[in-house]
Amino acid sequence: MLTLAAEHARWATVRQAVITGNIANANTPGYVALDVEPFSAVLAETSGAKMARTSPAHLTVNGTAADDDQRIWQVKETGAPVELDQQLMAADDVNRGFALDNAIVRAFHRMLMASTRTGP
Amino acid sequence: MIDPLRAAASIAGSGLTAQSTRVRVVSENLANAQSTGRTPGSDPYRRKTVIFSSEFDRQLGAATVSVKSVGQDESPFAVTHDPSNPAADADGNVKMPNVNMLIEMADLREASRSYEADLRMVKQARAMATMMLDLLRNG
Repeated sequence: MLTLAAEHARWATVRQAVITGNIANANTPGYVALDVEPFSAVLAETSGAKMARTSPAHLTVNGTAADDDQRIWQVKETGAPVELDQQLMAADDVNRGFALDNAIVRAFHRMLMASTRTGP
Repeated sequence: MIDPLRAAASIAGSGLTAQSTRVRVVSENLANAQSTGRTPGSDPYRRKTVIFSSEFDRQLGAATVSVKSVGQDESPFAVTHDPSNPAADADGNVKMPNVNMLIEMADLREASRSYEADLRMVKQARAMATMMLDLLRNG
């Protein structure tokens, strides 16, 4: 759960950067708006009964730990020019998602702390 | 690629710089809306335009924006009849700058809107970073 929240938070920051790029280039002629692949696509790919290397410390099949595998999010062109209000709304969305991630991490962290705390 | 939130701040920064250059050029145009030439029949002030271009920043891994060049508007000048003006030609006609107040004001407003949007992205990125730091403080 914490990993998922962290993953979503990372996705949110990448999306924030992409949206900022769109807004900065709102008046650039010929610029096409970009967007990050939706998080659900990534979720479908990584969840399920597949074994995944979730930490760089895990060993890969042939026994060597690969260098870090931070997911590279795919950024695609939407094919449309930049709509300022749409982008701002998307940014608000990202912000809300990020706040939610933080709240989740905080809640779970509190639960962990409560369960590990010794006696009164 | 550096931290996306820092990248977002840098990209928005490039947008702020570009839009403020645009505001500068618009005010140049407005200030010179009545600037005629000095010698009889000479050309007056020519309206300036800003050309933006998108640049891929390898370090940020994202596209920033910059002012490619400040161009000139080649549209024809308005001609008024004013024989007392030092720039008047033999017939008493004076070429006035091709600055249209309405267009400049619209341009100014658009620049200001884009500037606001950029600023908002900076604020939002900062809010996100602060949120994350707050987790460390009293998570």
